[in-house]
Amino acid sequence: MAVLDELEKIWYFMKRDMVSFSTYKTNIFVLLLTAVFGALSFAFVGQSSINQAVTSQYATNYTTYLIIGLAFNTYLGQALTLVQKTINPWALEEVLVSPTGLNTFIIGSSIWGFIWSTAVVAIYLLLGVYAFGIILSINIVGTLIVLALGIGTFIGFSMIGSGILILTKQGDPITALITIATSLFGNVLFPPSVLPPLLQLIAYVTPPYYFFTCIRKMLLGSTIQMILPQLLILTLMCAIIVPIGYVIYAWCLKTAKKNGTLSWF
Amino acid sequence: MPTENAIETINLTKTFESTLPNGGGFFRRKTVKVNAVDGLNLTVKRGELFGLLGPNGAGKTTLVKMLCTLLPPDSGIALINGFDIVKQQMQVKRSLGTLFSVGERGFFWRLNGYRNLEFFAAIYNVPRRKRHDRILEVMKLVGLENNTYQIFQKYSGGMKRKLALARTLLPDPPIIMLDEPTTGLDAISSRTIRDFVQQTVKETGKTVLYTTHYIEEAAQICTKIGILKQGKIVAYDTPEALKAKIKKDEQIYLVVEDISQPQIEKMRTLQGVIEVTEKNDLPIMAGQRELYIELQTVDQLPSIFDFLFEQKIKLVNFKREEPTLEDAFIELTRRG
Repeated sequence: MAVLDELEKIWYFMKRDMVSFSTYKTNIFVLLLTAVFGALSFAFVGQSSINQAVTSQYATNYTTYLIIGLAFNTYLGQALTLVQKTINPWALEEVLVSPTGLNTFIIGSSIWGFIWSTAVVAIYLLLGVYAFGIILSINIVGTLIVLALGIGTFIGFSMIGSGILILTKQGDPITALITIATSLFGNVLFPPSVLPPLLQLIAYVTPPYYFFTCIRKMLLGSTIQMILPQLLILTLMCAIIVPIGYVIYAWCLKTAKKNGTLSWF
Repeated sequence: MPTENAIETINLTKTFESTLPNGGGFFRRKTVKVNAVDGLNLTVKRGELFGLLGPNGAGKTTLVKMLCTLLPPDSGIALINGFDIVKQQMQVKRSLGTLFSVGERGFFWRLNGYRNLEFFAAIYNVPRRKRHDRILEVMKLVGLENNTYQIFQKYSGGMKRKLALARTLLPDPPIIMLDEPTTGLDAISSRTIRDFVQQTVKETGKTVLYTTHYIEEAAQICTKIGILKQGKIVAYDTPEALKAKIKKDEQIYLVVEDISQPQIEKMRTLQGVIEVTEKNDLPIMAGQRELYIELQTVDQLPSIFDFLFEQKIKLVNFKREEPTLEDAFIELTRRG
């Protein structure tokens, strides 16, 4: 009966994980959504019309398009999870009892992540230039402006997601949705023009689309004037999302403090 | 704003709501309210080493978290160093050093002790010029001077707790709150921390709020003790006065020689005697007997001695049993 005993133990291991997992309902929803949209986004990568769309919109090849997309997607991915990474519940309590404000806490906790992400982006681009022969013509001022707006917007999302994570404890739907939206509609892996018309509409209301359009143009020789409409929309989105993110993060933190659940994870 | 009281709470209240499964179904839940801190009135004077004693779930940690601004109260007022914990949070944070019962988890495990304290010194506004010396000073104070540059994850449990204590002392706050600082530590580490806390209060005049569920620990070091039960203070006094508050039957211990069983039976009938029990806890000489006598009051004690004298029973040893703080704790939390 030793085998049966061991099987019963295995069953209880599985049951323990299943019951624990089932208590994080938001996480279950997010994971299912990620799987569906992840499959969808890679389905579009296989389309033959991508090359033509890239050439017509950016006057470059798909390799250049993809390397820039992946490089800055890593950057935004970092920005999107930066605030979240600061929510080590124990460290959070220790910092919150110190005479240090929330702004300093968020900014201070984010800086290293950005420095590291910058290094990663540089490696991507250097490899692109020297290994894959991509040709860049960088508008430095424009690139910095677009980067600042993109990072700002994504930190805004990060604050919303982290705030929700502080309350739900696992499964941050905002970060997951933005990640999905970025891969499917964000102009990272393929231009949204290859999507069906209805999905294209979604792409045009998501910040990643404007960020990736602008950053590619700034790295491929366009002037700021040439991307002005997209840049203005990105600026507007940033101006809306950052304060909303801050308010939501502060509110969620306050609520978790009130409920005494700050260190529960 | 120096005030006479370092810590003061007036009707401080905190209620938590929790959801519990309500019958079958994935989403069926019911909400239950728990008064973690219930209209608490507490005063800790400057320079006092105040012990907050209570069983698990009494509300000690909730109170500490409210006082250090981590938890907002539902109602009532709390002042730390004269500053309101809701309206003057920054001043409260500057006045207070807090050690949580699992405080070592807030450290960065891949950094050494020095680098950890360097970070906390910065966020606690320790002046840049004094930072290095202060870190070395507190490391020495807690006995970690030889482990300053050791990686935190290689510290033992006792060392981690000492480093947490060092972090609490780093900004040199006038008030320190230690939430169950010896929980999970071995006897030697616990003793070191207790001695250190006692010495710090003596030498620096800091106010310490020390929560614990170890009764003798509180009795050993605290100048005053509050006993917390279900979020309320059920007793508040010096350890000695708390013991005295226990209305316990007087108990005396006798070792007598040449006493017969009938004499013991007769002793049981004396006025004021509740019970006479024969014990053999300690090795005694042949012909001697060990007795515990419960009396209604201490006033009946002379009649016991008169009886021994009349019956020509030789008294070899005598001890009056004092109630312990543990007796007081159990009695007061039971009554409360």
